[in-house]
Amino acid sequence: MNFEIPNYFLADLGPEAEFTENMITQAALTLRSNRERFLAVRDTGAIIRIISRTADNWLEDDYPIREITLEKGPAETGFSRATIQAGLDHFFERLNGETLEDLLHQELGHLKRLDGPCASRWETGKESMASGPDMITHIAAGNIPIPTMFSIVLGLLVRSAQFIKCPIGSSFIPRMFAHSLYDTDSKIGSCIEVAEWKGGNEALEDTLFRHSECVTATGSDKSLDVIQHRLPAKTRFLGYGHQVSFGYVTKEAISGYKAKRLIRDAVDDVVAWNQLGCLSPHIFYVEDDASDWALMFARKLAEELERRETADPRGKISKEAAADIASRRAMYEVRAAHMPNSSQQWCSEGSTAWTVIYETDTLFQLSCLNRFIYVKSTPNLEEVLKGAEMVRDHVSTVGIAAAEDEKEDIVKRLARWGATRICPIGRMQKPPLTWRHDGRPLLSDLVRWTDWEQ
Amino acid sequence: MTDLGIFDDFADRLIGLIRSGNGLSDDEFGALALELHDCQRGTIGPLRSLAGAREQVNQWRELAAMPAAMFKELELTSLPPAQRDHVFHSSGTTTQASSRHYHNEDSLRLYEASLLWWFGRNVTRDEAMCFVSLTPPVSAAPNSSLVHMFERVGLESGGTVFLGQVDAGGAWAVEFNRLVELPSGIASGSKPVLLLGTAFSFVQVLDQMKAERIELALPEGSRVMETGGYKGRSRVVPKAELHLLIRSCFGVAGHEIQCEYGMSELSSQAYDTGRGRDAEGEEMRLFRFPPWARALVISPESGKEVADGEIGLLRIFDLANVYSVMAIQTEDLAIRWGDEFELIGREPMSEARGCSLMSVAD
Repeated sequence: MNFEIPNYFLADLGPEAEFTENMITQAALTLRSNRERFLAVRDTGAIIRIISRTADNWLEDDYPIREITLEKGPAETGFSRATIQAGLDHFFERLNGETLEDLLHQELGHLKRLDGPCASRWETGKESMASGPDMITHIAAGNIPIPTMFSIVLGLLVRSAQFIKCPIGSSFIPRMFAHSLYDTDSKIGSCIEVAEWKGGNEALEDTLFRHSECVTATGSDKSLDVIQHRLPAKTRFLGYGHQVSFGYVTKEAISGYKAKRLIRDAVDDVVAWNQLGCLSPHIFYVEDDASDWALMFARKLAEELERRETADPRGKISKEAAADIASRRAMYEVRAAHMPNSSQQWCSEGSTAWTVIYETDTLFQLSCLNRFIYVKSTPNLEEVLKGAEMVRDHVSTVGIAAAEDEKEDIVKRLARWGATRICPIGRMQKPPLTWRHDGRPLLSDLVRWTDWEQ
Repeated sequence: MTDLGIFDDFADRLIGLIRSGNGLSDDEFGALALELHDCQRGTIGPLRSLAGAREQVNQWRELAAMPAAMFKELELTSLPPAQRDHVFHSSGTTTQASSRHYHNEDSLRLYEASLLWWFGRNVTRDEAMCFVSLTPPVSAAPNSSLVHMFERVGLESGGTVFLGQVDAGGAWAVEFNRLVELPSGIASGSKPVLLLGTAFSFVQVLDQMKAERIELALPEGSRVMETGGYKGRSRVVPKAELHLLIRSCFGVAGHEIQCEYGMSELSSQAYDTGRGRDAEGEEMRLFRFPPWARALVISPESGKEVADGEIGLLRIFDLANVYSVMAIQTEDLAIRWGDEFELIGREPMSEARGCSLMSVAD
């Protein structure tokens, strides 16, 4: 590998770099000017070609930026090479011309909507055109890189200059993605800036906000509220708050011939990005009777997590995160010893690599993540929904495993309850490109419409 | 009914040992710890279950430690209900369940013997001082072990002056006007003041003093003792910054600020010995428990003691916890430095934490 990471982006300067308001102003003005010259003038087809060519590059084993990302990724992010590779491969496999066109159709009703006025076959008497903001600032969460990279893709589709602000120590993979876009088309790459600093730096952020027509942010409800109140009145704000996910397994699914496959799928969901994404499960609820299906599911899950640790290790986590796991395990050790009928736990030996907690209490419990998963027995779906009532407004994905004839009723019940995404277990952290984040539009929240009545 | 005789006997022996001022060798400490653990297993069901699920051990360092958090959901005491005369609650927010550490007359006697001896050695250093606390008084916060402690240490010095109150929502607040008037109530040349408070009560006061540009000059030789975390009760201020503020607002030197580490689930406290310096020459606050309590720093990954200079979770073996559980596993991170430890401050983990709550916008 003979690729050196050039200093194209502010984040390339390293975590010690200090920025001034003047530097941010200059960066924003440059982005806007580059966008005007290089991005606003391209049509949708050209943008799709650049994105899909970049994705194709990432899927080549010898693509230098992929190689460097996989090589340096573990030290930079804490995720193991296997975890990063699996996550990136899935993202780039679904990022192609076909899926991007599907996305545009779904969101804007017409592929050419961003190129000029046009009408879908259901629109009569007018043509409409959509325009993206001149500049978008993304305040990224930094827990996993994919949402940030996807935001960049959406911003490119609507032809916006983009400033991506990452928390300290979390820009590496989005930065490599920005480099790959630069590698495909340097003019398009010059419409993107990536920087990292500790959030809450009002001087830098307010400068950035003044130059942005739109700000997106992922974070706690409190931090989103703070950001929103600092924005100029005309700036559009898209906030993505707390979301949690869980799985539901019926007796039919766990007792059927696909049970072994189901366990592997469930572990896929737990190990994907070490459970740190909003779509990762905190809990698998398992429909149970006197047959101890949930207990068996938990035991098998532990066996598979142990096997997976060899092939796809979790990697190193912070002392704080390890302390959280150790503390939670210590509590469950007492519960399991003292009340073994209602609680049991299985843990990796000599490390915090993986943990399975079995409980009969159906109350929703937030996991410590990093491959720490609850299995809760439940008599039926209704009890799950009662137990999860406290997170009802924050549920993103429910992964389900059920017999074919059970699925439709389960989906209807979950949709009415408030879940915004339902998918098979094993695909929780692998949403399609057209997945509506938090049940909201992807592109149509970003654009401004112009209707031309004829 | 539980026969408390063995515990009373142990408590009497320990009080004798505390008052003797003698240290304890590792073997002596180990023998006492194993004896007490054995007694506690006999009366406390969850401890018996926990220890029973593990292999038999014969080293005090390997004894099963009860997570402090379990004091919230289990009755971890050898005292029968009729003898639970007093209870200390943890100072969690009102929306969370709080710990329950039960006491009777005998256990409080031991608690106070433990408290006074180590406090005298480390904080007052046996000098006569005037005690002023930023917390509410015992009458307003009867179940706070900290307030109990602050009252008890002042008893022999004419009583502690309490400047805090509990508001309608249960939160503690300092009566600022009374604090400002404090120096005029202390004649010049009088005893030095020992100002006691929690980190969040100091932040409340210091923020207001700064806003109103007030400085309070305490009498020569005065000291400040601060303890505890923030628990969402004020903005969180790094320790070094807090101490700088205390120094400038109260006119005390850095070495006159003493830190305490304690919790309602324990009966002994650790104080910083004020001796540490890190590689850059920066001051480190190294804590030490009295001879009858020991702290181990445990790796969260391996569950074993960490090497010197490494970070882990504090596990405390407090022989003065005779009637409850001696070995307590805390959720506090610390660095091991010989038989002392340095606390690592960390943001309290939110009880409601989703993916984006963990890391966002920081």
